[in-house]
Amino acid sequence: MMETDNKQVLSSEELEILQEIMNIAFGKSAADLTDVIDTHVVLNVPFINVMHVAALPDYIRNYVKDYVNISIVEQRFWGRFRGDALLVFSSGSGKELIGMLQHGEGMSLVSDHIEILERETLMEVGNILIGACVGKVAELLKDIVTYTPPVIVLERHYEDAFSENDFAPDQTAIVLKTDFNFSEGNISGFLFLVTSNDSIQWLKDALQIFIEQYE
Amino acid sequence: MEDCLTNDMVKKILIVDDSPIARKMLKSCIPKDQGFEFHEACNGSEGVEKYRSVCPDVTFMDLTMPVMTGFEAIEEIIKHDRNALIIVVTADVQLKAIKTVLDSGAYMVLKKPLKKEDLLIALSKAQDTLQQVK
Repeated sequence: MMETDNKQVLSSEELEILQEIMNIAFGKSAADLTDVIDTHVVLNVPFINVMHVAALPDYIRNYVKDYVNISIVEQRFWGRFRGDALLVFSSGSGKELIGMLQHGEGMSLVSDHIEILERETLMEVGNILIGACVGKVAELLKDIVTYTPPVIVLERHYEDAFSENDFAPDQTAIVLKTDFNFSEGNISGFLFLVTSNDSIQWLKDALQIFIEQYE
Repeated sequence: MEDCLTNDMVKKILIVDDSPIARKMLKSCIPKDQGFEFHEACNGSEGVEKYRSVCPDVTFMDLTMPVMTGFEAIEEIIKHDRNALIIVVTADVQLKAIKTVLDSGAYMVLKKPLKKEDLLIALSKAQDTLQQVK
């Protein structure tokens, strides 16, 4: 895997600040989601990695391979902090989420309708998780972001779900990853925020400004 | 706010958080001129050990940590000392998380990113509680 030395791009302190910001941001996402769904999202320690973009599809595949089939909500965000958010769910999560949003009422829809409902549900949940997380990162770093509409990939084999062509290969990516499980239902997944060269210098400056308020 | 905070009772402070930056942020919110003695731990397990050896007056505890979570560490500490004053400082602000830690015996919950005013109010309340206990 073509991993770049993290510290060549961001210093140890910058990586730690970014990790803490991601922790705060995903905590906000989980809290926003549990306003809508009666569950508890079990959070894990986020992880930051810096790599060549060409290595990114394999990096992500390596994390999600145990799910075999996955569903993805992808959304681009634009501000001085810009990049791609990829919310990857384990197989079957979409249907589980429909049940949870309908508060356990049984599904009696024909399969076409279930697929539409599954897409809409993943889009809604994705909007909440990605919007709250990216929005909080941006807020803490004094930025404002806008989003493209989410794109849904439904129940696809993990090897076919990401293409090398999805990302500009000559760029360096900062990957912010967090994994999560829901306490109810069999739902788990990963959120990857991928931000590239364009944001790096701004990000370094913004991280410094953020930590200065605590010095 | 800083004026109302005296360290007559709260002397030893334990900070349990896996993030060195989060520990630094928390310490920066506490007045440096009042002689607090700081102890730090980078996960719940180390936090429990430090609690036993240091016997802090107040413990600040994160929840999302490797090795042992804050949820587990609070239970262990309360088993050891049911009067422990544990102030949870967390990004996990889900209602169930807050209810769980308060039910386990945590003293209060503060949300990350920490605001200096909130932390000083929390320390002041902890001070009052300690005075009532002793």
